[in-house]
Amino acid sequence: MKFSRRTKVGAAVACAASFALIATGCSSAGTGTTASASPVELTVTTFGTMGMDALYAQYEASHPGITIKANNIDTGGNAQTDAFTKIAAGSGLSDVTAVEEGWLGAIQNVSSQFTDLKAYGADAVKDRWVSWKVDQATDKDGRIIGYGTDIGPEGICYNSKAFAAAGLPTDRAAVATLLGGSGSTWDNYFSVGEKYQKATGKAWFDQSGFIWNSMVNQLPEGYYTKDGKLNVENNAALKSAWTKLASANAAGLSAKQSQWDWNKGTSFTDGTFATFMCPGWMLGVVQGQVKTAGGDAVGATAGWDFADVFPGGATNWGGTFLTVPTQSKHPKEAAELATWLTDAKQEVAEFQASGAFPSVKAAQTDPALAASTGISAFFNDAPIAAILSKRAEGVKAQYKGPDDSTIQEKVFGPSAISLDQGVSGDKAWADAMTLFNQLIVNK
Amino acid sequence: MQKATMTLTREPELSSPPRPDRTGRKSALTYKHRLSRLDVKLSPYLYISPFFVLFGVVGLFPLVYTFVVSLNKWNLLSGPGEWIGFDNYVAELNDPLFWNSLFNTMSIFLLSSIPQLIAATFIAAVLDQNLRAKTFWRMSVLIPYVVTPVAVALIFSNMFSEQNGMINHLLSFVGVDPVMWKTDVFPSHIAIASMVNWRWTGYNALILLAAMQSVPRDIHESAALDGAGFFRRFFSITLPSIRPTMIFVIITATIGGLQIFTEPRLYDATTPTPGGAHRQFQTTVLYLWEMAFQRQNFGKASAVAFILFIIIVAFGVLNFLISQRIATTDSRTDVKTAKRVLRRKAAADREAALASSAAGEPLDSPPSSTLPTGAKEPRS
Repeated sequence: MKFSRRTKVGAAVACAASFALIATGCSSAGTGTTASASPVELTVTTFGTMGMDALYAQYEASHPGITIKANNIDTGGNAQTDAFTKIAAGSGLSDVTAVEEGWLGAIQNVSSQFTDLKAYGADAVKDRWVSWKVDQATDKDGRIIGYGTDIGPEGICYNSKAFAAAGLPTDRAAVATLLGGSGSTWDNYFSVGEKYQKATGKAWFDQSGFIWNSMVNQLPEGYYTKDGKLNVENNAALKSAWTKLASANAAGLSAKQSQWDWNKGTSFTDGTFATFMCPGWMLGVVQGQVKTAGGDAVGATAGWDFADVFPGGATNWGGTFLTVPTQSKHPKEAAELATWLTDAKQEVAEFQASGAFPSVKAAQTDPALAASTGISAFFNDAPIAAILSKRAEGVKAQYKGPDDSTIQEKVFGPSAISLDQGVSGDKAWADAMTLFNQLIVNK
Repeated sequence: MQKATMTLTREPELSSPPRPDRTGRKSALTYKHRLSRLDVKLSPYLYISPFFVLFGVVGLFPLVYTFVVSLNKWNLLSGPGEWIGFDNYVAELNDPLFWNSLFNTMSIFLLSSIPQLIAATFIAAVLDQNLRAKTFWRMSVLIPYVVTPVAVALIFSNMFSEQNGMINHLLSFVGVDPVMWKTDVFPSHIAIASMVNWRWTGYNALILLAAMQSVPRDIHESAALDGAGFFRRFFSITLPSIRPTMIFVIITATIGGLQIFTEPRLYDATTPTPGGAHRQFQTTVLYLWEMAFQRQNFGKASAVAFILFIIIVAFGVLNFLISQRIATTDSRTDVKTAKRVLRRKAAADREAALASSAAGEPLDSPPSSTLPTGAKEPRS
């Protein structure tokens, strides 16, 4: 083919012109779609087991024109990385994004990236939650950036088969008494564990990390003081809890499991350990692990039960909020969905699906909560709702600073594993302090 | 296209007043001429520009931007803070966790690259033989490469599970105690290196095979006729001939090895710190990813990225120098061999001459000219 110079130049100009046409075409089309209101596709990102899966279809049916694209991330840690990456990138966050209590502190530092839900009726609904849940979601300028889904009052999950093998009582009321009832302490919990360990030669709890999280969350002040100062080094309460945990490890009470793995769930079915720290949302995790290991996830044959007792008294571990990032193109619709998902009726449904205990007051007292569900059937028909309501009594919100989750995961996480692996308490604590200085103080 | 061009470009001109080149200006160049001259000068650049534009957008810009970020205090979420110069670099070079990651990277790199290259060369040599169903064998070695690294990591992570993984199970048959594949430093490095090897050995083998195929067969044949065995031919003919390809494979393996991420990230994904609870197999890229997206320190992460960049460049230069050296020693040995042959020939000639002169025969042509022509030729 032979082109003359002239036609080549002409072609170039034509190309440029057509590019311009395409460009303008695109932009006009773009403004067209945003102008039209319906239909709206809302994206939702949750993590762990939040029990919302069945609710989306219900919402779509009652709200024509809205479709929901839901994504669930396996653990809170991965959800955190996902959310942080997308905040930094400035795009990609879902219209409704679940944020966990542990990293809410970091989110609060950039709260302007999240929609003030007061613009979409937060004031009208804010009394539905327990007051401390609303306080946690309120930023320093008084904006409400999240609606509470669940809270994490903790009870003790125990394997009744393992208890029976050790000659311990299996009835959940008797187990609660055995562990000290309302006056239960960690010393008490560990000394029963030693008895169990002597009788069976098996471990009492799965690994040290979750015990440690529970112990820290129980303190009036955790890794931060109430006024937001770091409170780790020379914190006598932390150190004494650590020493207790270390001596429990020295007595062989830990099953040295990898958390969130538990030997692919098998350790929940073969009696590797007898007790497990169970905030409400963890109940669904236990059931899921048994299912993963191929165990009976419906009936009570797995042997797991849930006792109304917790060492050291009432405590809250975890809890989640639904936020609407400012990246969302449909903040109004997203806020409406978040409002609906955290309404009493829906929180009851979420509880029934996953055991995540509602943060909405009306849901906590809803008689439907007590109805036997799949999750309570799994736990030998335990009255989970009633137990968790009692475990929630007296829970106080602990101040969570911006680096709270980093301290929990990266400073004490490795040292808790060291304890499992037989490192002495003092050495593991010293290692944690070294990491604390490396990762937090001198960051 | 051409018609559309005409209508688009020419129509306005028809209705417009006479074109500039018809206004009778004395200019040496008409508008059209100037356009076409511009065309000649600029078009080539226009045609090659897509590569450079793309490189600028996805290569150069991130590089420069990373450098700028590394000079700042920069939080992932709240964005840029104050300008602190090279403080991030100083802090990182003094951070034991950074050095730990570098050690892990080097250890995994050595554990993967060396066995991998040896195995790849061996497999290539086997495939280079006259096998039945050649294509089948060649495709077979490439299959691991097709599997996504994520799947590889998940499968290997299961196999190397400490509690009831396949490997420990097999080891128990031969009476070996369970190895702490995820807890201990060295075993975890071996496990990760084995993932890399599994995936990349076949790929490298195919590249080396291609190089081996281009080695002239007649050299092999003549060597075989001279009585050289398989190993002699392999080490004296095949290996020296594929040296440039070998260097290419080594360089790509180095770059890949220093940037390893997926395998250590997913090998034990349940630990709170990526790369093992005590960072026992946390590589440098994993460290920088944690720094950026979990510890939220974007400035330091950028500094680490830049240090890693410099390290990789240094490795590249080192590789280049070594390969240069190999090339020169190679030609030097050629010269040496040639000289040796020449000396021997000369000595033989001299002896022959002595013998012949002793026998009363006349001296023939000077010894130097009897150098065999083969010795002068460069090796193919």
